[in-house]
Amino acid sequence: MACLYIPVKSSEEVVQVALDQLPLDATDIIDILKAEQAPLNLWLTIAREYFKQGKLEQFLQILKDGSSPEVDENFADVRYERIAILNALGAYYSYLGKIETKQGEKEEHFITASHYYNKASKIDTREPSTWIGKGQLLLAKGDIDQAFNAFNIVLDGDGNNVPALLGLACVYFSRGQYSDSLELHKRALQVYPQCPAAVRLGIALSHYKLGHLEKAKQAFHRVLQLDPENVEALVALGISDLQTNEANGIRSGMEKMQRAFEIYPYCAMSLNYLANHFFFTGQHFLVEQLTETALSATTHGPTKSHSFYNLARSYHSKGDYEKAGMYYLASVQEINKPHEYVLPYYGLGQIQMKMGDLINASSNFQKVLEVQPENYETLKALGNIYVQLEQKERAQQLLKKATKVNPQDPEAFLDLGELLISTDECAALDAFETAHNLLKMGNEEVPIELLNNIGVLHFERGEFELAREMFMEALGDGMWSNFVDVKTQSTQYPTGVSSSLRQHMELRLFHRLEEQGTSVELPWDKVSSLFNLARVLEKMHDSEAASILYHLILFKYPDYTDAYLRLAAIARAQNNIQLSLKLIGDALKVDEKCPDALLMLGDLKLKSDYWVRAKDIFLTAKEANDLRDSYATVCLGNWNFEAAYRNEKKDSKFETMHHQKAKGLYTEVLLQHSDNLYAANGAGMVFAERGHFDVAKDLFTQVQEAASGSSNVQMPDIWINLAHVHFAQGNFALAVKLYQNCLQRFYYNTESELLLYIARTHYEAEQWKDCKMSLLRAIHLSPSNYTFRFNVGVAVQKFSSSTLQKTKKSVDEVQATITELKNAVRLFSFLTAGSDLRCHGFNKKKIRTHVRYSQHLLHVAKVHCEVAEHVEQQNQERIKVWRQMELADESLRKAEEQRKLQLEKKKQEDELKQIMQQEEHLERIKEKWKSNASTSKRKNKSHTEDESGQGEKKRRKGGKRKKEKKTRYESEEADAAVGTQKEMEHEDATCKYQMNDIEDQVKNNPQDFLAASGLEDTDAEDNAPAPSSSAKGRRRALSESDEEEPMNVGGGVEDEK
Amino acid sequence: MKLAPLSTVGNAHDDSVWTAAWVPATDESPPLLLTGSLDETVRLWKPEGPQKLQTNTGHCLGVVSVAAHPSGRIAASASIDSFIRVFDVATNNTIATLEAPPSEVWQLQFNPQGTILAAAGGGSASVKLWDTAQWQLTATLSVPRLEGLKPSEKTGSKKFVLSVAWSPDGRQIACGSMDGTISIFDVTRTKFLHHLEGHNMPVRSLVYSSAPLDARVLFSASDDGHTHVYDTEGKTLISSLSGHSGWVLSVDVSPDGMAIATGSSDRTVRLWDLKMRAAAQIMTGHTDQVWSVAFGPPIKTDVRSCLLASVSDDKSLSFYKYA
Repeated sequence: MACLYIPVKSSEEVVQVALDQLPLDATDIIDILKAEQAPLNLWLTIAREYFKQGKLEQFLQILKDGSSPEVDENFADVRYERIAILNALGAYYSYLGKIETKQGEKEEHFITASHYYNKASKIDTREPSTWIGKGQLLLAKGDIDQAFNAFNIVLDGDGNNVPALLGLACVYFSRGQYSDSLELHKRALQVYPQCPAAVRLGIALSHYKLGHLEKAKQAFHRVLQLDPENVEALVALGISDLQTNEANGIRSGMEKMQRAFEIYPYCAMSLNYLANHFFFTGQHFLVEQLTETALSATTHGPTKSHSFYNLARSYHSKGDYEKAGMYYLASVQEINKPHEYVLPYYGLGQIQMKMGDLINASSNFQKVLEVQPENYETLKALGNIYVQLEQKERAQQLLKKATKVNPQDPEAFLDLGELLISTDECAALDAFETAHNLLKMGNEEVPIELLNNIGVLHFERGEFELAREMFMEALGDGMWSNFVDVKTQSTQYPTGVSSSLRQHMELRLFHRLEEQGTSVELPWDKVSSLFNLARVLEKMHDSEAASILYHLILFKYPDYTDAYLRLAAIARAQNNIQLSLKLIGDALKVDEKCPDALLMLGDLKLKSDYWVRAKDIFLTAKEANDLRDSYATVCLGNWNFEAAYRNEKKDSKFETMHHQKAKGLYTEVLLQHSDNLYAANGAGMVFAERGHFDVAKDLFTQVQEAASGSSNVQMPDIWINLAHVHFAQGNFALAVKLYQNCLQRFYYNTESELLLYIARTHYEAEQWKDCKMSLLRAIHLSPSNYTFRFNVGVAVQKFSSSTLQKTKKSVDEVQATITELKNAVRLFSFLTAGSDLRCHGFNKKKIRTHVRYSQHLLHVAKVHCEVAEHVEQQNQERIKVWRQMELADESLRKAEEQRKLQLEKKKQEDELKQIMQQEEHLERIKEKWKSNASTSKRKNKSHTEDESGQGEKKRRKGGKRKKEKKTRYESEEADAAVGTQKEMEHEDATCKYQMNDIEDQVKNNPQDFLAASGLEDTDAEDNAPAPSSSAKGRRRALSESDEEEPMNVGGGVEDEK
Repeated sequence: MKLAPLSTVGNAHDDSVWTAAWVPATDESPPLLLTGSLDETVRLWKPEGPQKLQTNTGHCLGVVSVAAHPSGRIAASASIDSFIRVFDVATNNTIATLEAPPSEVWQLQFNPQGTILAAAGGGSASVKLWDTAQWQLTATLSVPRLEGLKPSEKTGSKKFVLSVAWSPDGRQIACGSMDGTISIFDVTRTKFLHHLEGHNMPVRSLVYSSAPLDARVLFSASDDGHTHVYDTEGKTLISSLSGHSGWVLSVDVSPDGMAIATGSSDRTVRLWDLKMRAAAQIMTGHTDQVWSVAFGPPIKTDVRSCLLASVSDDKSLSFYKYA
């Protein structure tokens, strides 16, 4: 039994006080102490005893009385004990401040503590224990730098002061200088090897922080050896056990946690870990209890946050998102930086995403990514949020990263692919294919939607075979394979059905199959793929199989309007207008506002020339469409554009009005969709029409570039329009090239209308031969179009007259001309004769004029031919004469030479023989010379006479030509008429326009004709592009609906998901 | 069933080659091929080599059709100027020049007996029959309007007749027109029998089956990209072969009746297996429209095989071996 003996003042007696029997009322003791003037160390001992027994009030009372002014007076010279009492009080209040959670009271405690320490310092400023106390207080207040100073003051005095060493170690630890902290701890241990286990805890923690996990563990074990009940060490060892992530480790870790819990049930750390454990074992009730205890037991932010997180997670997994969200939020609020503890951010993000609070969720996920930029789940989640927020680019980045981080998860690839569909088909396809492969490798079931999407993408890229395979894979086995695989088809394909009933044949086929007991099944989720398969088959030109599939769809789902429309499109492509109309009607029966059906109908009406009806339909379609699709508006624009030329009479007001309307409509579309090629094309057409060729050319060129950049935009019109503009500007060669490219690229060279344009360009460029050839090709392609025959006649006629006008022409040329003219006459007379039989739309009179003119030309040509033959003959004669002359000259020269030779010989002989008789001989020789000269003169004379004769002939011929000129003048006039008529032909082919005016003009003022025709030319060109391009525009109707449908279907599938 | 390319004559003509027909072998000569072109000439080819034997001039405007008499001694050619020139194959001497204005001339076909030359009469909406002994016009088979259909103002009420084919027994003629209808005539009675429906675009080529039991089967090639198989007696469409991406310009049936070949504006020649009703082979040798395909008579050394010729807008001529 420990006792305390208080010496009785001025006596040898003592008062014995049993420490375990200290009175409840401290006043008794204090009275004794005061009365006996007991030394202050006794006061301290008794106070400590009270403290140990947990009697804090008494403890405080004694200490406070011990530091009262009264005591100060009595023990003024006892400095150390007084200081000790004050320090004890300071330490107590520091502790109170440290554990106090309420900020205000905490402050108060700290202030009280520092008050006592200051008082102690006043007694002796150098007392180390005061400084240590102050240091502790500063540490508790978080004022680390000042604490550092305080401890150092102590250590300056005594380098081995253990508490100061430990305090400084603590400072270093807080500063993160773990190795320094470790050093100091070690020093403290060396100085005072018996120090409590807590010091070793410091070493262990320093090691732990330094990453010396093994040493830390050893140190913790040592702590436990010394103090088996040390909760911190137990928890620390438990954590390190848990972190091994092995079953054994976790078990022993949990055991340690449990022990820690048993020793001290309020250690938040161990509570948290236990809660964590029970979360995974699914004992949510325990989790809640434990974490709630932990929460009430600690004020430490990170630990609290951990507890909140545990709680939130528990609610999260139970599906109580509201509570979970609250606790996650609480957990997050306990964290200063996401770096410290990132998990609750992820949880909070998840909850917020679930509750639809995408903005906050995304910011929380972003925080997670700041800490863990490669966290796959977070990347995916955030990516999804961005998809929902329609921030596609960011979503793409994230999902791409996610797929990089974890290239084995098909899900992210799927998401990425879907995201990319609208922007980058190529990348989307890659993503989908990767997903497909991953699923296949994992032997997982590949969703139909994925296969369908891959197929659609292949389709978009024009890889029809691959697309077909994908759709087939998506469809799997079913009755449809019978129809796709032609080989088996033949056995089932009905024979002997009247062709006029073909439209119902397929439906009947299915009925019959059903009657025969074959079940006709088509699951709803496969309809899209089946439809797409049919689209591919169409693209692969197997429209037979395609139409059976469409019928199969309709057999099971009679409301599937797209199938009707595709069938209508197939019928239309085969020019079966009646059937096409009927099918569109069927589609409209299902949905009378179906815009696609309305547009196709309008288009067909336009094609069959129901002009006004077409416009009404387009208007309805536009209304039904709202602003979703600008196609109807473009159609209306085209309609107005064409309407400008509907009138028989040219009326510029009327034209301007319609052009303005058309332009307005195109602009309307372009304002909404600046990338609408068709509207841009239309606008270009109006510009060209109004004579702004450069603007039009710019527009067309841009559209052409855009169109050729995309593989599934087929836009021949733009080539044609561009060519028209070049033609109008006189760039004939370029125009022809463009026409030809277009013809080859889009029409397999089968579009005779384009050949007509080419011929027209050649005609303007006066390339008669090319013109004729183009027209002959056109005839061959469209034998029943008599316009071409007429035009061939005109071209031949023009060609002939231009040949005849040439100043130099060979007989061959003229003869060829004659045969050509005969052809022309024949062509024209055929047309006249046939005009009763055929309705080819031209005026009989006009043809007769042509016949007459051609015959006239023929006649003239014959004259020409004779002339030419004559000239040729003369030429030949002249050549003959020349030859003869040349021969004569030759013989003369030869004779002369011979003579000379002879002369020389003679000379020599003479010289040799008769040098003496030189003079005489010379005379003779001279005479001979003279005679020679005279003969040659005579010959020359005849020569010149010949020449003059020829000259006369020439003159004569010249006279004749004058006469001819007259006829030529006439012919020119006629030519002019022909020219205009030809132009009219072009217009005939498209729309009748304003011929009479020009003819009148020509008649009234033939001399001005050329100018007139020049003007007329540009006008004509203005018009030429117009109808054709809009006609092309119309044709696009089909192709556009073609292109849109698979996309729609793709989208539909996504929706279904 | 296979086509093996044998040889190709590039620039066989100076311009697009539009038509081709085999001249049966005679005592003096093996089977030869006649071709006609936009360059206004008709040329005669020996497939071995191939060697050009002759260039016949005399036509104005492009040559649209050539046909050979079953004897192999005479042949006829027609051009856009609507003249038919009948000539001696060996010598190129003109035997007759035929015209029947205002009827233009498209496809020509001799009947199997060689007694009649049939010519598709274009806008005259008729097939003209010429007697090959006197070269006189003996009959005009006019195509009646489809009942119940009103003549539309624009296209005219008449059928524009483009193509013509004889049945193997020479009793029937089928003719194809611009609007896609096919008309069947009884030749002996010069009587129109009925129409075959199914096409709605020009029918440029027709041929009766050569298989002995299928003599009533007719193949038709149309701009709608399809080749139809009709039963001419039952007036029914038996089957429709799709696959060409352009117009089908020409169709011919193999001598064994097992296959047909088609030529198309999509630049391909396709061989179709009639049993499977599917394309057995696609030849992509030409670079422009294939205007005509023609099976030759069986090869003497190998009776089961024969030659196939194709001509194209790319000016070339190709030979294949069909077996």
